[in-house]
Amino acid sequence: MLLCTTALLLSPAFAADRLTVVSWGGAYVKSQMLGFILPFEEAAGITVDVLEYNGGIKEVRSQVRSWNVRWDVVDMELFDAGRACREGLLLPFDHDTLPPAPDGTPAGQDFLDGSLLPCGIGNVVAATVVAYDQDRIDRPPRSVEDFFDVQGFPGRRGLRRSPKVNLEWALIADGVAREDVYRVLDTEEGVERAFRVLNRIKPWVDWWRSGEEAIRLLETGRVSMTSVFNGRVFDAVQRGENFAILWDHQVWFMDVWVMPRNGRRPELAADFIRFATSTESLARQMRYIPYGPVRRSSLERIDPEIRRQLPTAEENMATAIEGDAEWWAANLDRLKERFERWLERPVMVPRALPN
Amino acid sequence: MATVSRCTAAVALLMLAFIPAPSRSEVDEVARLQQQLEALQQRLEVLERRLDTERRRSAARPEVPEPRFETERLDEAVTGAERLEEARIGAAPEPPPIRFGGALRFNHSFREDVRDSRTRRGDSGFDLFRLNVDGEIRDIILSAEYRYTPDMDVIRHGWIGYRFGDESMIKLGIHRVPFGLLPFASHNFWDGVPFYAGFSDNHDLGIAYERSDGPWDFHLAFYKNEELGNAGRLARYAPDVVRKDDQQNEDINRFNARVAYTIGRDTGCENEFGISGQRGDLVNAITDSRGSHWAAAGHVDSRCGRWNLQLQGIRYDYDPDNPAGVSNDTIRLGAFGTSFDLAARGKLAAANLAYNFDLTGRWLDQLVCYNNYSRLFKDVGDGQDSELNTVGCGAGAGPLFAYVDLIFARNMLFFGEGSLADGSDDRWRGRLNINLGYYW
Repeated sequence: MLLCTTALLLSPAFAADRLTVVSWGGAYVKSQMLGFILPFEEAAGITVDVLEYNGGIKEVRSQVRSWNVRWDVVDMELFDAGRACREGLLLPFDHDTLPPAPDGTPAGQDFLDGSLLPCGIGNVVAATVVAYDQDRIDRPPRSVEDFFDVQGFPGRRGLRRSPKVNLEWALIADGVAREDVYRVLDTEEGVERAFRVLNRIKPWVDWWRSGEEAIRLLETGRVSMTSVFNGRVFDAVQRGENFAILWDHQVWFMDVWVMPRNGRRPELAADFIRFATSTESLARQMRYIPYGPVRRSSLERIDPEIRRQLPTAEENMATAIEGDAEWWAANLDRLKERFERWLERPVMVPRALPN
Repeated sequence: MATVSRCTAAVALLMLAFIPAPSRSEVDEVARLQQQLEALQQRLEVLERRLDTERRRSAARPEVPEPRFETERLDEAVTGAERLEEARIGAAPEPPPIRFGGALRFNHSFREDVRDSRTRRGDSGFDLFRLNVDGEIRDIILSAEYRYTPDMDVIRHGWIGYRFGDESMIKLGIHRVPFGLLPFASHNFWDGVPFYAGFSDNHDLGIAYERSDGPWDFHLAFYKNEELGNAGRLARYAPDVVRKDDQQNEDINRFNARVAYTIGRDTGCENEFGISGQRGDLVNAITDSRGSHWAAAGHVDSRCGRWNLQLQGIRYDYDPDNPAGVSNDTIRLGAFGTSFDLAARGKLAAANLAYNFDLTGRWLDQLVCYNNYSRLFKDVGDGQDSELNTVGCGAGAGPLFAYVDLIFARNMLFFGEGSLADGSDDRWRGRLNINLGYYW
């Protein structure tokens, strides 16, 4: 009996009818389930086991190096995908095998620039934007510069407790062109320049860690405007809040599908990714979550009213900054430490100096 | 549905009617089935009525719009880009409930009025080794500090506290007396005249209650006696009334109260206005009788942007019951391993201005520059006023912190023959003091 069971478990036929996909939690994975995972199960006649994780590449590295790969496909942050790819932990992906758009546009032209990576395929785009409560603000901000202008646009500000996005916006507010932001940040003078701009508003900033906190700052009127992930604003608006988004210089990041090397079902995994990133799948997923699809053809299939509120809508992308995941992968540790030290420097004269 | 059920019941009854004459047991069975059927019919009617009612209610209910996005909780929709930074680069470990800290400091001093100091271009030396223990376990707080200096080793403070549900706190032990500007009435290393007179950063043994209510801060405290249980001991962190030679007074049973109101709390410009008062007894070991003392203070502590302006006025009166022949015009204080006299009645004034520089670089974390002025107006005898003015900066980089102070004093303790009681030659004297410490 035991021998029979073992033989069954090890048989290629059994292994091939299951696929393990690893993704994030909550409503995000729900949008994936309804958008393409359940349809894929039906189309391929297999079962997809969906696991949730908290990011990072430690587990992938461990599985790949031990040749005991249990994760077939992973929804990975671009930041991590770049690192994992450089470490050789991921399988390369042949972009030519991706399905074209329904009108025949090749995938290479249909996907947003930068979303086809050597080791992964982009799926959705989430953006950090400025949001404000229209009921509490006299004059809405028109640009990121207005966010940094506390004299012209009085009130406290909310910012994420991270150098990411804040340094980019600080330079934008100081007149740096969006295409030059990371080049300027690459220099010590550029980093100092960004911190100097942040210094201007530091006394008026409430720092948040999670998107939920950011929205709460707006809801309670603690701040007049805040940086926040665009999806959170939609949620708050659905709950009846009169919030609005300033899309100027939104900073967008995307998640990508990757396949850990040494996996047992690479063909099936690639099939899944092709299915998940098809025009129809991405458009279907967007019914359940307000993020932007990386395929232009998917965007066209979304209701125009909703499309206008997605990061990848054409009008919202006019001044958008693509968050440079590679740059942040190389610099986050260093700048995060410096950012924290900067944050701890009080603006006011401390009540007590060392004694 | 109801029609079908009724038909079924009718057919069942019809079938029963055509069955041949039954036996007694069969009659009983038929009766039982009929009862069940009737019960079912009644139940059916009840359900039909409920169904009609629900249908009418549904028709009357307004149409609920479909949500734009078919999600239950968008706030759970976390993608990689939204991941907490801590998850990405590793969260800081939870601090232990009890933490240890301390400091090691060295000092360099150049005194222009001392020939030896001038000849040696100043004097350097070990200043302090400090150990701190702080923590909180289940709302019970502990804080203690031990100091070793070339002149003394002493417990600066050591108290146990309890935090109530409303964030108010009660402290028991040796703690800072809530009086005037808190926690310090100066910014510099050398401190100001209020400190040397025992009215700033003074620690005594007692019980204190602290409470914040919006813009209001309240302190109430009672101190049984000086903190070390020996009024003759001179090795103290801050000046207290001590028993020394002909002056055998001890500060006992003192009540303190402090109220402060802050305008603009938690904004970029906070302005605190406060008043403080204290009253206690002075027991004299020779006469075995009690005198008294009191003090009152008003202060302003304005932190606006990067500026800080502190103003403070203090009025105090020591009325000891000394034996005949011992002057009541001075009161003897002790600290730093020595004793000195203070005019028994007087007024103190302090005006401090400081600026916290805007730093963006990698190395220097803090640069605060200041000018601190304080003065003692002596109300007894013919003592000339004591004055102390310090201009300087404090700079910090990681665990290192350095003070560079240029101090000018007149009739001031530790400057020539200066005294807080009798005055001296009324001459300004200067001193450059540099203190470098490693704080952890």
